[in-house]
Amino acid sequence: MKGRVAGNSSSTEEKGSIISGIVAFFTSARTTIVLLFLLAAGSILGTIVPQTHEIGPVTSFSSRLIVILDLNNVYRSWWFSLLLVLLSFNLLGCLMERLPAIPGEWKGRSRRSTFSFKLADTRSPAKLMEILLPKLSGFMNREPERSGKGDEFVWIKDRIYLLGFPLIHIAIIVILLGGVIGLFFGYRGHVLIKEGSSAQQFSLNSGETKPLPFAISVSAFSLTRYPSGEPKEFRSDIKILENGEEVRSGSILVNHPLTYKGISLFQSDYRVVDVKEVRLTVTGQDSSKTDLLLRPQSSQQIPGTDYEARLLSLDPGTTQRGVGVDLAVNKKGEDPRSLRVYKKTGPVQLGEVQLGFADYTPLYATGLQVGYDPGTLVVWIGCGLLIIGFFLTLFTNFRRITVTFAKEETRTAIRVSCRSRSMRREFRKSVEEIIRETLQSRSAQTKMQ
Amino acid sequence: MKSIDLITYVTFGYLACSVLYLIAQVSGSQTKTIKGWLLGALILVFALHTGAIGLRWIESYQMGIGHAPLSNLYESLVFFAWCIALALIIARFKFGMDLLVLLGLPLVTLVLASTSLMDPSIKPLIPALQSNWLIAHVITCFLGYAGFAVSFVAAILLLMARESDFFARHLPRRQTLDEIVYRSILAGFPMLTIGIITGAAWADYAWGSYWQWDPKETWSLITWLVYSAFLHARLTRGWTGRKTALLSIIGFGAVLFTYFGVNYLPGLHSYF
Ligand code: HEM
Repeated sequence: MKGRVAGNSSSTEEKGSIISGIVAFFTSARTTIVLLFLLAAGSILGTIVPQTHEIGPVTSFSSRLIVILDLNNVYRSWWFSLLLVLLSFNLLGCLMERLPAIPGEWKGRSRRSTFSFKLADTRSPAKLMEILLPKLSGFMNREPERSGKGDEFVWIKDRIYLLGFPLIHIAIIVILLGGVIGLFFGYRGHVLIKEGSSAQQFSLNSGETKPLPFAISVSAFSLTRYPSGEPKEFRSDIKILENGEEVRSGSILVNHPLTYKGISLFQSDYRVVDVKEVRLTVTGQDSSKTDLLLRPQSSQQIPGTDYEARLLSLDPGTTQRGVGVDLAVNKKGEDPRSLRVYKKTGPVQLGEVQLGFADYTPLYATGLQVGYDPGTLVVWIGCGLLIIGFFLTLFTNFRRITVTFAKEETRTAIRVSCRSRSMRREFRKSVEEIIRETLQSRSAQTKMQ
Repeated sequence: MKSIDLITYVTFGYLACSVLYLIAQVSGSQTKTIKGWLLGALILVFALHTGAIGLRWIESYQMGIGHAPLSNLYESLVFFAWCIALALIIARFKFGMDLLVLLGLPLVTLVLASTSLMDPSIKPLIPALQSNWLIAHVITCFLGYAGFAVSFVAAILLLMARESDFFARHLPRRQTLDEIVYRSILAGFPMLTIGIITGAAWADYAWGSYWQWDPKETWSLITWLVYSAFLHARLTRGWTGRKTALLSIIGFGAVLFTYFGVNYLPGLHSYF
């Protein structure tokens, strides 16, 4: 058992048996290394081949390869999943191989050592214990634990270190499990809701629509900008309704989602779908200026004239012409006619007044992402375990000294076996020095493993 | 003085340190005290560098759009260089090896010099970047990268020492180099892990999904897989020397690609 490491366990198994071959495969750290490299290579492929859902006609060899190997969807492909499954079994395998040894190590019964040596002394065991034990207790800063068999004493420091290895490796399994849960039970989609209206269903990324267990009602959307014109904040003010009753209200901003019943709503995009109000400036003959506010589907008297104006359409200014409106104007005894008022081309004469375009308030539709992933919590638990595991393996220094005294005919044999995670050379030097100085013996036969 | 000017001076400071280190190394005799002075100078430049980052932070607040100076390519490169310099100084004290600094400093200088090609103006944060997770994410990732950079330098030295007797005579012992290759990765790996986790937390918070296989995410995972393979090869298969040095170099190649190469691919991180 001494010095046995995962990876060479196959040597102890019976050759030729298929089962032992499989066991050896899954307990081997060589398998791990190969799997990690294959996963890395697969991931690289996924960043090189475009990951799209549309595939063109399958004609050439390369496009056939893409279809068979799912190269346009690497991370969900059968072989990438297979690699992850193999890695999980590999993790389980090496955990099963190593976990059983941990209680023994915890209690100090393990013989696994970084170094060990033997000494012989003519004094009696009792006498040797009397002088040696206090020194080692002082060095290890604790009293020894006495194991059942014979005169064996064990000092262990930072034994919590032993949990690091299982935690790290269990954590990876937990994270993968969380991913699988999300894959099977989670969903993602998108919904576009106009200001002032509500939605009870959304469209999945696959294109299907799916009902929501509640209704989302959007009261307002706003977009604020920095003075430089760059967007500063997108905000949707929403209410959650269940059976027509408001159960929750709040704002959704980028980086500030709203979660209700495990379903999270995220600000993702927005669209200008309509216009709420257009403001025109009416300049009279005496240069007096008045505002004219036009709303869709309603006519308005133009101040200073006997014309009525109605909004026909708004050009949001995405083309060369810039922003402007088409109006229908009419007065009694005249046929209605249309009038274009654009910001760029300036005010337009109508009777005695001039009509100029001032600005408009858009009616937005806010785009919300809908996400439900019951695996997320599992993933975070795994991440937490991983970080704790790292902390234990990096910042604790497991050290063990085991000393056995055995009476032989004329002398006492002393066996010292030690394990240390780091600073091994220094640890060894200190232990040897302490023992030699205490026993005043120059005849230590040391053996390093 | 503006932080941008300060960074320019700092760049020249690192350059001067690199050249002086080289001269001290080549001239050979009685270099102990000279190198002591040089280390002092390096720490001074590093302090200025730290000050420049702090100053930039203050400047952003004076402009009324205060945010940590980690929001665009210019700022993150300045911080990346800072992390490498920090790792070099730590490694210098831990392993007492001036050669590491000698070879690492040109890397720092190069990264900083490349910032002169970027737009250095302080911009307000777009909504997606307004998150504390992001600060934790960037800092931990870069500290990890810095550890990998030190390992990379040691790996190059190790390969040089193996290839030629001349270098072997003038370089530190191979075991020491091998230890540095391994230990720097051991320190960097948990940092990168935490960096990936905080990145996932940010993505989950901002975009509603902790993992989207965006190219930058994927490449940081690739880097992580390579270094994980390194650790297992070293801890369980007993790989040392040339083999692990090569793995360290491959790993650092992945780091550089995560950082520079991926920006040419579209994705969530395209503003970095
Ligand atoms: C992606 C998955 C994995 C990750 C992230 C991972 C991570 C780690 C880390 C960080 C260490 C160093 C711990 C230390 O310093 O003691 C380690 C050690 C180790 N891992 Fe893994 N591991 C993974 C998969 C596996 C698998 C599948 C096996 C199964 C053979 C395995 C076997 C080992 C062994 C034997 C050690 C050495 C422990 C020691 O030196 O005491 N690992 N692993």
